Amino acid sequence: MQPFLKEFTKGLWKELPPFRLVLGLCPVLAVTKSADNGLGMGAAVIFVLTLSNLIISLVRHIIPKKVRIACFIAISATLVVAVELLMQAYAYPLYQQLGIFVPLIVVNCLILGRAEAFAAKNPVPLAIADGLGMGMGFAMSLTFIGGLRELLGAGTLFGKYIMWEGFQPFAVMVEAPGAFLCLGLILCAMNAFNHWQARRKGQDAPENPMPGCESCRACSHGK
Amino acid sequence: MRDILKMLVVLSAICSISGFALSYLKMITAIPIEEQVLTYVQGPAIQKVFSDVDNSPVADRKKFTLSDGRTITLFPAIKNGRLTGVAMENSGKGFGGDIGVMTAFNPHNDTLLGIGITTMKETPGIGTVIFEPRFTDQFSGKDLKNVAPKAQGGSFDAISGATVSSVGAISAVSNATKDYLELKPEILNTWK
Amino acid sequence: MEVFQLFISAIFVNNIVLAKYLGMCPYLGCYKERGVALGMGGAVVFFTIMATLCTWYIQKFLLTPFGLDYLQTIAFILVIASLVQFVEMFLKKMVPPLYAALGIFLPLITTNCAVMGVAILVQREAYDLKTSLLYAVAASAGFLLALILMAGLRERLDVCRVPKAMMGTPIALITAGLMSLAFMAFKGMIP
Repeated sequence: MQPFLKEFTKGLWKELPPFRLVLGLCPVLAVTKSADNGLGMGAAVIFVLTLSNLIISLVRHIIPKKVRIACFIAISATLVVAVELLMQAYAYPLYQQLGIFVPLIVVNCLILGRAEAFAAKNPVPLAIADGLGMGMGFAMSLTFIGGLRELLGAGTLFGKYIMWEGFQPFAVMVEAPGAFLCLGLILCAMNAFNHWQARRKGQDAPENPMPGCESCRACSHGK
Repeated sequence: MRDILKMLVVLSAICSISGFALSYLKMITAIPIEEQVLTYVQGPAIQKVFSDVDNSPVADRKKFTLSDGRTITLFPAIKNGRLTGVAMENSGKGFGGDIGVMTAFNPHNDTLLGIGITTMKETPGIGTVIFEPRFTDQFSGKDLKNVAPKAQGGSFDAISGATVSSVGAISAVSNATKDYLELKPEILNTWK
Repeated sequence: MEVFQLFISAIFVNNIVLAKYLGMCPYLGCYKERGVALGMGGAVVFFTIMATLCTWYIQKFLLTPFGLDYLQTIAFILVIASLVQFVEMFLKKMVPPLYAALGIFLPLITTNCAVMGVAILVQREAYDLKTSLLYAVAASAGFLLALILMAGLRERLDVCRVPKAMMGTPIALITAGLMSLAFMAFKGMIP
């Protein structure tokens, strides 16, 4: 139980996907116009990531090393198509909102990165824990950014107006530049928090996390 | 050699398993997907063209076959047990792709009840003006003789600056008119 | 005229990186030198056009006729992955100097959402082949432009005094946000 919990909880804070491992940023920026969309995208990623980790961990001994990336891509693409079909059948408005970012889950480095870095090397229960934890961390972060942008950009949260009367929304927050600025400021706050924590413990300040090529070993850039 | 064989076997096994799984899933989800598309893509346009109905046009839809073999889905509007209109979706060519238009007819006096745009892929800000009432409202109550743009001797205005999109939408209406006139006897037999 | 508008719209107004958020990883990633950015951008331009061409034909003659539209995602990603593999092998054997220059970018292309994104977008917009290719050229040119501008800005940023917490990704994102704000102004070009 102990290692299971450890793998599960690391995705929720210590290695929180978009903020700590700066990974899979396209959907983080693109679908977070509202908290609803962020949550929907997050749910889709939890589904794909958990199942792809499960399946890849199951078949990790029979996949030849040379074609492993192709196998991972085929497996995750299958799951993404399944998500597309289910979303069309039971949540069509969300499917319309998320647009091409539903099929693009397949090229999200988070999926391939976790497959290569974790699921291909670990037993099934741990792989599931890792997938669930990372997926939930990703969903949480997306909902958080979505909520923040929606609140500042339109004064609503999950579609309900909650700001005080006479509040002037920052329309730029729900436009394209708002996504960049918002994520940049959140990452900055995250780094400041890390530095403060390290100073309190009397350690040297840690390096700021860089865009996560090194966490996605699918390419020659990751060592 | 053995390695290559193993690679081929593993890859094709994965692909065929996923193929089977997906086609099964596709079969299960086919009906809910059709319902959802009708509710969320065609639904709003239907609501727009039929303002006052007792039934649910989407639930009461029916397929008809035209003489050239095409099948087309008609959505009836019923008020106080009487058919007040039928709507169908048709498409015309816009600048970026097809424009889907829901056209509603009044079967009692052969006039247009109104139109609603269902799907379109026009350049944002240019072609999208055909969504606006200044374009769509001109169709209500017109008779079916002259469904063409004014430039071609018809009775409808194209929006200047969005000519291609307007003409595409008008041609969708004119296609729908042809289909409607062909199906009219059948329509009146099916719904009273 | 409308072709020109499509071009301007895809490069400036709906820039694939700054307005559609595709291809974020290379954009924010490690390309601090303009030369490297040019190499990566060039590879993306090449593969976007090739992939759009291949997937357009596959959609038209394989997926649509057999009612397999729902397999679009899986078919496209496999096509792009094998295309990349094939070009890599070809370059290695036939044009070693080019391979030496571009080789390290090739595996990254498979997971670049700009390539896959353009291939899916032209299908969703139901463009014909000519418009699709034009769009692919324009969109990837927009990507190249954004990448080079960003690399240039980051070269300058390296010699600036940036607050410690802002260093690295946060300042890159803020820069991208300001750039996106500037590109938003091009909206006025499309009446």
